[in-house]
Amino acid sequence: MEGLIGKGELRIDAYDKVTGKGLFASDYGNQFPNLAHMKALRSPYAHALIKKLDISKASALDGVIYIMTGYEPGLDWDQFPKASIIAKDETLWAGQIVALVCAETLEIAERAVELIEVEFEKLPAVLDYYAAIDPNAASVIDPEYETRPLGFSDRPGDRASNRVSPNVVGEFKMHAGDVPSAMEEAEIIVEGEFWTGKKTASPMECANAICRYDSDGGITMWSNGAGVHGVIKQGICRILKIKESMVRIIQPYMGGSFGSRLNPYVEVITALMCLRTKKTVSFQFNREEVFTGAPSNWPCITKVKLGAKKDGTIIVNDYYLAEEIGACVNNTFFSGRLSSSGAVPVYRFPNLRMDTCAVATNTVPAAEYRGLGCPEGEFGIECLVNQLADELGMSPVEIRMKNIIDKGERDAFGELITSIGLKECLQSVADAIKVEEMPDQDAGAWKKGRGCAVGGKQNTPLGRSEAEVWYNSDGSIQLFISCDENGMGATTALAQIAAHEFQVPISEVKVTKGDTAITPYDNYSASSRTTYNTGNAVILACEEAISKLKIEVARVYGLHPSKVEIKGRKAILVGSHVQEVDIPSLFAPTSMFTQGNWGLQKGTPVIGHGLFCPAPIHQWDENGLSDRVWNWFQYSAAAVEVAVNEETGQVKVLKIASSADTGNPINPKLVEGQIEGGIHMAIGFSINEEHVFDGNGKIANANLSDYRLPTILDMPTNENVHAFINPDPLPDGPYGAKGMAESITIPVGPAIAHAIYKAVGVRVTGYPMTAERILALINEKKAKEAAK
Amino acid sequence: MERMEIKLTVNGRNHTLSVRPDRTLLEILREELNLIGTKKGCDDSNCGVCTVLMDGLAVKSCTILIPQANGHSITTIEGLEKEESLHPLQQSFIDHFAVQCGFCTPGMILTAKAILDENPTATEEDIREGLHGNICRCIGYKKVVESIEAVRDGKYKESCGEV
Repeated sequence: MEGLIGKGELRIDAYDKVTGKGLFASDYGNQFPNLAHMKALRSPYAHALIKKLDISKASALDGVIYIMTGYEPGLDWDQFPKASIIAKDETLWAGQIVALVCAETLEIAERAVELIEVEFEKLPAVLDYYAAIDPNAASVIDPEYETRPLGFSDRPGDRASNRVSPNVVGEFKMHAGDVPSAMEEAEIIVEGEFWTGKKTASPMECANAICRYDSDGGITMWSNGAGVHGVIKQGICRILKIKESMVRIIQPYMGGSFGSRLNPYVEVITALMCLRTKKTVSFQFNREEVFTGAPSNWPCITKVKLGAKKDGTIIVNDYYLAEEIGACVNNTFFSGRLSSSGAVPVYRFPNLRMDTCAVATNTVPAAEYRGLGCPEGEFGIECLVNQLADELGMSPVEIRMKNIIDKGERDAFGELITSIGLKECLQSVADAIKVEEMPDQDAGAWKKGRGCAVGGKQNTPLGRSEAEVWYNSDGSIQLFISCDENGMGATTALAQIAAHEFQVPISEVKVTKGDTAITPYDNYSASSRTTYNTGNAVILACEEAISKLKIEVARVYGLHPSKVEIKGRKAILVGSHVQEVDIPSLFAPTSMFTQGNWGLQKGTPVIGHGLFCPAPIHQWDENGLSDRVWNWFQYSAAAVEVAVNEETGQVKVLKIASSADTGNPINPKLVEGQIEGGIHMAIGFSINEEHVFDGNGKIANANLSDYRLPTILDMPTNENVHAFINPDPLPDGPYGAKGMAESITIPVGPAIAHAIYKAVGVRVTGYPMTAERILALINEKKAKEAAK
Repeated sequence: MERMEIKLTVNGRNHTLSVRPDRTLLEILREELNLIGTKKGCDDSNCGVCTVLMDGLAVKSCTILIPQANGHSITTIEGLEKEESLHPLQQSFIDHFAVQCGFCTPGMILTAKAILDENPTATEEDIREGLHGNICRCIGYKKVVESIEAVRDGKYKESCGEV
């Protein structure tokens, strides 16, 4: 039969999902009649001292099982996921847990929360980068801090006192080429400062976990968290010091993640409550808590200065980036390096200097969100490339074609680019939207404009993925994997890979997934790595099973295994008296007297195991350079046509085209879905979504009526949404495939920003590009014109 | 709070329940009747994952107090599949790849059914208007609209009639 790679096979989980039969973690409550419920008392203030905390009345309430506070003995809170640290003496963001109740019913738990007596004394709070970076800012997480060496010399600081903000908590620097000299050589320079809003990934299923206390003192957990082995089990065992054999994590269907569930802020604390109470407990976040008690993304501030020749060749980029990471205590994760990574693999910058840092604020601790800071980090670069094109009288397509890295070149870090289909991506979206032509205008308030941008995202080598495959004695196939299925379709793509290897229809492959007691190790699904990492492991597992099967069949017929080909249930034999054999017929039936026979036995599968682990990075040198900082790169381009209302500032996306360089897609229909979904997520955070704070530093729009996720009416009509795949095969990917889901979101924002400029002549320097902000820019422009 | 007697017809079956009147239809469906295909995504009718049909109209079950549903007929996602045969909308969602994480899918399908039941020739604009209370985070909406249009255009055997 023909191979299955590149075929739009139907999703293997779709039936479960259209019938409501598929169980999500939040559906498991019904299975436990004596389920105990957790409810958190959360801080109403961004920064406050806890003057009084009295749980006696709450504890006395009938049905209350346990109340945990920051003073819980025997814990090292520093080890906990940051959004789950219970405040002790001081709260660091509005939404931090102050006390956590466990009760027999949810209503009792809620009543107990009301009975907790707590008094706060408000402290000065810093809520955004600009407040946090002030040399004399209130300190979010480091009150002992006095001065730091002027290693942060390019950052705002009080040079007289040698003092920078105490909230700067991590840094990364790199310098390729010679930026100061190249800036001298440049014939044209554009520069700007860019900001981005704070957003919540907002998967439709709120964060939740149910933890069963097992009779042997172990625990079994169902949660919609990601990374059953690498994140959740590892986290629980390390932090709660429980034996690995005593922890079982099961991931049912997940109602979305977009990176946000890679952080076990529900799981560890729920496991702790389970162990403390010896009860089966449930912790279900409500929608408000998904905003205030679960990690947000990390917004980035960038200051970008590009120098170019008059012909549009960009020769230098001087780049500053700050990640605003919220109340992340003991930061070891953030330095600006992740968010700035997107500045490197797209354009050929021969001279690139990056000076990046992380800044803490009194907001919810940040964690992963689709793109890992790259949409935020690349926004300013893309805006300035468009501006450069405008100032040089070039098209935004032409200037990019001149500067995008070609395959086989090295990027500014020194890494070899082995797969890049970005120019083809750009051309396809530019053609679809006719981005180099002006749309027709009418005399009304709505002005139209077109714009485009590109983006690149690294894949971080994130350790091992394993897979196990069983060739059963009836010829059916089972695949065991532990990667996450956030919804992207990875299990379908991986089943497709296994079916392809065994040359059977995908319906012959049954997948068992995400249960640490059954399925083999996989770190977690992050950095768009699942198709690549777990995909390679699945191929290896299939190859091993097929190789074992060949040996068994060859023995029966007295052949060398190389003379056997496995095609599903059939073995094709070369040089034998038999040309073709039905493999299941070779499995000997077991009876009382044949037990223990070697060889193929009914009921015993032939098992293959696969382990894939990408090479680790090479530590960078004193200039931040290395030939292997990341693994490989995914790319995307977007083009849009927008309408901007000159009188209200409202922006509508009328047409959008997006293209992914995904390597050879395993399943193009699934890729298409990821492109269309990525577009719509990016339109949301480019135009609407951001946290808005009240006077206490609390998120004022922590609900879905005020934090506006894009509805269908925010999307262009179907004929105006275009998804393209422009693959450049990845040499080390399974069948040349690579990941793609993150890159889609990168170019949408800057493409909209440029389209707004084309429509109404204002340059946007950040997102979300709300009506209020666009109107302010339009009015500013009008005022300037009037003054002239 | 005192319990009250509530009569509901759910997916064609009559139920008489004794429940507190401050509970929502969503809670009763999920917790009392074990119909967990109806999901919960927020508590204020803004996301649409809890959508069910009440007397054929799409409603957000998280903001229907159970006395408001007393005496009414409810259809949940579990009520669409008949004797191993999927409802045309269910099959169309599968065939058009309109499903990713699947959490919004039951609500989307029931809203789609209400749209087509009310207007079998609904245009794309009508469909968009009808669907704008159902948020999807994964797939975007293009494939959802394609799925509904395919059913509208008679590409699936059964008509999209009352279940």
